[in-house]
Amino acid sequence: MAAEHIIKSYDEELSRLSKMIVEMGGLAESQLAAAIEAVIRRDSELAARVVEGDDKVDQLERDLDNLAIRLLALRQPMARDLREIVAALKIASDLERICDYAANVAKRSIALAQSPPIQPVNALPRMSHLALLLIKDVIDAYVERDADKAIVVWNADKELDEMYASLFREFLTYMMEDPRNIGPCTHLLFMAKNIERIGDHATNIAENLYYLVHGTPLIEARPKGDGSSLEVVAPHRPPDQAEAR
Amino acid sequence: MSMSAVQIREFEPPAEAEGVGDPSLANRPATKIEIRKVSFFYGKFQALKDISLPLYDRSVTAFIGPSGCGKSTLLRILNRIYELYPGQRASGEVVVDGENILDPGLDLIRLRARIGMVFQKPTPFPMSIYDNIAFGIRLYEKLPKAELDDRVEASLRRAALWDEVRDKLRQSGLSLSGGQQQRLCIARAIAIEPEILLLDEPASALDPISTQRIEELIAELKVHYCIAMVTHNMQQAARSSDYTAFLYLGELIEFDETERIFTHPTVRRTEDYITGRFG
Repeated sequence: MAAEHIIKSYDEELSRLSKMIVEMGGLAESQLAAAIEAVIRRDSELAARVVEGDDKVDQLERDLDNLAIRLLALRQPMARDLREIVAALKIASDLERICDYAANVAKRSIALAQSPPIQPVNALPRMSHLALLLIKDVIDAYVERDADKAIVVWNADKELDEMYASLFREFLTYMMEDPRNIGPCTHLLFMAKNIERIGDHATNIAENLYYLVHGTPLIEARPKGDGSSLEVVAPHRPPDQAEAR
Repeated sequence: MSMSAVQIREFEPPAEAEGVGDPSLANRPATKIEIRKVSFFYGKFQALKDISLPLYDRSVTAFIGPSGCGKSTLLRILNRIYELYPGQRASGEVVVDGENILDPGLDLIRLRARIGMVFQKPTPFPMSIYDNIAFGIRLYEKLPKAELDDRVEASLRRAALWDEVRDKLRQSGLSLSGGQQQRLCIARAIAIEPEILLLDEPASALDPISTQRIEELIAELKVHYCIAMVTHNMQQAARSSDYTAFLYLGELIEFDETERIFTHPTVRRTEDYITGRFG
């Protein structure tokens, strides 16, 4: 951080803003970790706690918004101070979204637990492990105001995209093999997509952090690792029809 | 800090650049005043060190910096008002439309007709509102009464004061409120149809509403003039100016577009100052 302000209470308010971001980041991590735990252990009680826990994050975001708006109105921040506050507002809304996705995963885990366990569930923790790492790293980078670390996170999201693309194909295979898998696999697919979106929000945070530090936007094209939106499944043609041709 | 540390982005005006390069440069107004390597001394004390920067026409340039940084001194050089005091001297060049106004042979009366100045405290003359405006005009021109009336009215209108004083032009200028007095001084400064307007903290002695009137007035006036303004109020510099020069201890630390200075200045010292971190 730069030198201290002449007015000390200004510094205190800015540092409170930062602490709230870090607190939200911690909540985002624990919410996602608990949601995945609920999926794996088929623990609907835990899942319900994650869904409830989302209120706390929403409240924290509202508190942060209030503080940020107060700072804007009363301190008339300039330059880096202004970027601190604007970045905090944007980062908070990304973290809030991340928590929403974690709550979504938890909600679906309750539905998933009602059908018999299926094997592909085990692919999910791998993905969420990486997503958790992205959240942790980007919050660490924020604490240290380290734009280089932010760029590392920004690039690492590609791996999460690739994982999602491969899971997408994996789930499709399961669904084609046995129609009874379609229900649970659809839930899993949405969960995987939620986790993939969490990675995108982590990169948003990285971009905002970069802007906070340098005052210029991070504008290179970000590497993408997910082509699943372009994927087409060709239906299996019954053999006798194929012969008739 | 050495000269090389001064940040002046895109110093060169576009001139005959034929639209090459940065598009923002193409929209930049012409340079009205070129301050070149100006130093200033109060006796042995050097108040300004080797200052170089352009002041663009039809734009407002704000000089900001802590007390004693030399911003008012720099403004006072631009119309050589410092010469009223013994022991003060300037070196370097201040080129206005190709003419160095620091040249000792320069006609000072003619110079000051081209450059109007407004001070921190309103300084109306102890005479009628009408005569406050007419006084300056009469110094430079001999106008028939009707024309003089027109000029007084036009000046007061341009200074956004006409509607408030049209019925009491014969009353003393001192009877007006502080904000009105300041607008009267601005009307007086522009009555002689200058090309350049120097404002030395024009709103610092005024209430917030009068301050906003002055700022609105500055925005209207810059369409016609090259305006240089000293202000202690950074929000005012941010709101009212197109370019900002930050001075510290007699040196120019950074000069840039106001928008950039107040969003992401290049020099750390500038950032510390505008964000209130100056120790």
